Amino acid sequence: MKTVEKIVNPVRRAGEQSPGKIYSDKLKVRRRREWRGVKDTFYDYTRWLYLLSVLGRFIIVPRNVKGFFRYRWMMSYLFVPHGMDKFTIGLRDEALRIAHTSFNFVIADVTKAIGNCFRGDRRVGNDKAYSDKCVITDENSMVTFMMGFDTDKVHTILREVPTMFASNIFHQFNVEHYLDIAQQYGIPGDVCPMPEAEAGISIDDDFCVLGSCAVQNNTTCDGSLMGNGIIAKRLEREYGIPTYQLATPLRHKEPDVLEYAAEEIKKAIRFVEEHTGEKWDWDVYFAAAKRVNYATKCRIAQMEINSTPYPQFFGAAFSLYNDTNYMGNSGRMPEFVDIDRKLLELAEKGYKEKRMYAKEYRHRCIIWGVQPQYVIDQLYWLLQCWGVVPLTDMLSVINTDMIAEEDTPENREQAYRDMAMLNMEMIMRNHTHGGFKVLVDDLWELCEKMNADIVMMWEHMSCKALTGMHGQFEEQARERGIHIMWVSHDLCDPRVFTRQAIRDQVNNYMRTVMREEPLDPSLEIIPDNEAY
Amino acid sequence: MRDLKHLQYFEDLLQVANNELITQAKAEGKVCVAYTCENVPEPLLNLPGTFSIRLHAPNTGSMDIATYYMTNLLCEPSRALLERAIEGGFNFADCVITPDGCTMLNRCVENMELLKTMGKDNPNFFHEYMEIAFKNTDNDVNLSVQQCTNHVLTPLHDKYGIDISDAAIRRAVEDHNRLCRLIQAIGDYRKDEKPRITGYEFHVLCLATYVCPAYLVMDRLEETLEELKTREPDERPWRARVVLVGSEVDDSGLVKLIEEQGAFVCCDRFCFGSHPGRMEIVLNDDEDALTQVCRHYIRNCHCPRMMSMDKVYGRKAYVAELAKEYNADGVIYEQVKFCDPWAYEKTLGSYMLQQDYGYPVLAVDRPYNIASSAGQMRTRVQAFVESVEIKKLQKGGRA
Amino acid sequence: MKSKVLSVLVKLVIAVLAFFVVTFTVYFFNLDMKATALLEPFFEKWYDGLERKQYI
Repeated sequence: MKTVEKIVNPVRRAGEQSPGKIYSDKLKVRRRREWRGVKDTFYDYTRWLYLLSVLGRFIIVPRNVKGFFRYRWMMSYLFVPHGMDKFTIGLRDEALRIAHTSFNFVIADVTKAIGNCFRGDRRVGNDKAYSDKCVITDENSMVTFMMGFDTDKVHTILREVPTMFASNIFHQFNVEHYLDIAQQYGIPGDVCPMPEAEAGISIDDDFCVLGSCAVQNNTTCDGSLMGNGIIAKRLEREYGIPTYQLATPLRHKEPDVLEYAAEEIKKAIRFVEEHTGEKWDWDVYFAAAKRVNYATKCRIAQMEINSTPYPQFFGAAFSLYNDTNYMGNSGRMPEFVDIDRKLLELAEKGYKEKRMYAKEYRHRCIIWGVQPQYVIDQLYWLLQCWGVVPLTDMLSVINTDMIAEEDTPENREQAYRDMAMLNMEMIMRNHTHGGFKVLVDDLWELCEKMNADIVMMWEHMSCKALTGMHGQFEEQARERGIHIMWVSHDLCDPRVFTRQAIRDQVNNYMRTVMREEPLDPSLEIIPDNEAY
Repeated sequence: MRDLKHLQYFEDLLQVANNELITQAKAEGKVCVAYTCENVPEPLLNLPGTFSIRLHAPNTGSMDIATYYMTNLLCEPSRALLERAIEGGFNFADCVITPDGCTMLNRCVENMELLKTMGKDNPNFFHEYMEIAFKNTDNDVNLSVQQCTNHVLTPLHDKYGIDISDAAIRRAVEDHNRLCRLIQAIGDYRKDEKPRITGYEFHVLCLATYVCPAYLVMDRLEETLEELKTREPDERPWRARVVLVGSEVDDSGLVKLIEEQGAFVCCDRFCFGSHPGRMEIVLNDDEDALTQVCRHYIRNCHCPRMMSMDKVYGRKAYVAELAKEYNADGVIYEQVKFCDPWAYEKTLGSYMLQQDYGYPVLAVDRPYNIASSAGQMRTRVQAFVESVEIKKLQKGGRA
Repeated sequence: MKSKVLSVLVKLVIAVLAFFVVTFTVYFFNLDMKATALLEPFFEKWYDGLERKQYI
């Protein structure tokens, strides 16, 4: 089997050595926050204050209070500080700052998105003029087709992100209610719970209702595509909001689908123009394209740093930022550029100083598959508890090609193809769809490139695209001498696999197969199954 | 009713994937094109010198090896097909053409390819994967034409020297239409108040046209149609008439089980069925045949994978139309367990057929091989038949 | 004048220190989340009581 050199951290971590002690089986939150030494605790405290200020600024708006009492999912946002704590277990120095910089920005962005939803929502703010300039899109939607619309004039509302995706990160139980509703209406329990929960929210009438139109797509999976029909029916027939289904080819590596995809993008743009009354602006588009390319360059640099013995980008905070930037932003908002730059500077500094974030780095690990929403802190835990370094996760392995960024007549045609390519290569589906090569072969290439000796395979049990290749992963990993550690979960339904049941799959593998003892025994069993 | 003369013959053909007619067609030097989904235009697989076989795995028992490769979370048809392929049950195929229609079947065929389950002694053997249309637009027709050219016609021509000219496609469409007319004519007898053919018998005949070389079953189908013209129907009335809608049914045991409970399956709306799989393709001389064939398949596709809202609503309207045309009292929506597309379609369809069209609906999931879980299905259908009967009594006629 | 400035400065320092001590205590002992967790059952009840137009 392949092995990597163990690296022992020469520097003793400041503050708390056993963060497992701060969890409680009696409380749904932690006993206290982590002591990280004076400098880092003070930094963490200031970021906590910042988060409170973000939440405070949100809730002083009267319509947001009204929205809070109308929508069940809003309850999750009471636990934002608790959610942020999940992203920082055991972190110090640059990694702590990277986690805060990236995820604080995501939280601010989500808060803004909720505020926008409430502003246009017919039940809450009912700002009709604003709503008429809003376009609703899916949670798993690349918004490339909005890149050429001025963000001050047309507003892209990823309605499902604050409602389902983000809220579930802060409160592990919040989608159970919607899953129950969906199943009560006949959707079976074996489909992916994410689109199922979204369908449940629609059935439960718990989505904000706004927008001049909606654009849906098939970017993730069969379940997502099918759930859209249920949501669109209500949008169209009850609320009179026309929907456009943006078809995105699945075999995205085949050149013979690109023209189709580009034509679909053109049609989606025309649909938005028609319903919002605003025109596509090529200046706006190419400015966004430059930002997309800058984000791509930063991402390539991040991957290079993580390929070294001293990786600096860890876990979900970072991957969620990448998701938000790549998919929900797609170069439209300039604010992301500063964050990209800052993150890269922090990582370069950490790398130069050979900063390590656990007592030992025993294994270098690629995280493949789809992460569970309710165990979002697993990668930090993996590092702290077992010294297994998560080098990258599948969702962060996305497009590395540059797109046309100069405004020329040829590039305007190329732009549709670029947008189509990005749309097809959306997060997750760029690996889960498009044939086995992008799912299986890409993983082994990545293991080679990043010098990984172990793969932690998230086996999202309702994701048929992944589980359909189970045996191939097993056999090919064996041939290559790479350890493969299966960790099953059900994405956002903790009733199927609890948090500890998920961690125990790692614990069992590390103890029985690798014959190792945990770096930090206080983390091996954490009483957080009932925590938010 | 008296047994149909050829029913036993057709039933026997369905007992194995590699049936005697496949052996016969191969002995005649024809190329066997295996496929897995209704979204591949069938006439393009039945060009002069080729015949199509839709893969199925009758009498499936254990799926242990396939379950190792794909886990028990994937639908049973995909696992059953892989298991059969690993066992060597599909070695007759000279190529496999698969659309990326649903994820599970796509993964099933990818596993077949990676495990090199077929084509060991055939250097020309190939696997092709197609992108298929999502909507009913000209852009989708263009996509389909390109995909059929690149992933069906060109490889068939390059590997096996098959004539893929416009004339050859037109000839294949003519043969296809002859088959469709026959099946539709046989199926029309299900519209009668006292039907001369059962849903089970019809399904056996229709299924044979998918899993056998169609040109080799034509004679017996024609004879069966003649036989039906004078067949005496049973006097005993059916307790209820139902349209069976849902994911692929290549196990006629399901239809038989439903009918044993007194519900006559008067119409089929599922993959491996006659609606829309056995509808004539009308060609004109103004446009090339390939484009017209692709357009036909897109316009008439009722696969839940079609995502535009005209298709989403259209699928339910189509079921309602069929229910009306075939005088159905109710609708049964079925899905193979773990099938994502039909899980949602069944939910929305059963809701809309009840709320918008006023039909009683039974929504059920089922195993691939109904024999493995007949009791549950029997109970569900019995209860449904009783509820339809009560509604009929209350209304003094149609449910 | 000087003593006035000094007095303001002292008050400011005391205010900042008080703010720090209070907020840091809340932060470190996770009192914000503990208090919020106590409120959650009431919100649950509130949302359960809302009338909704449930259908597909």
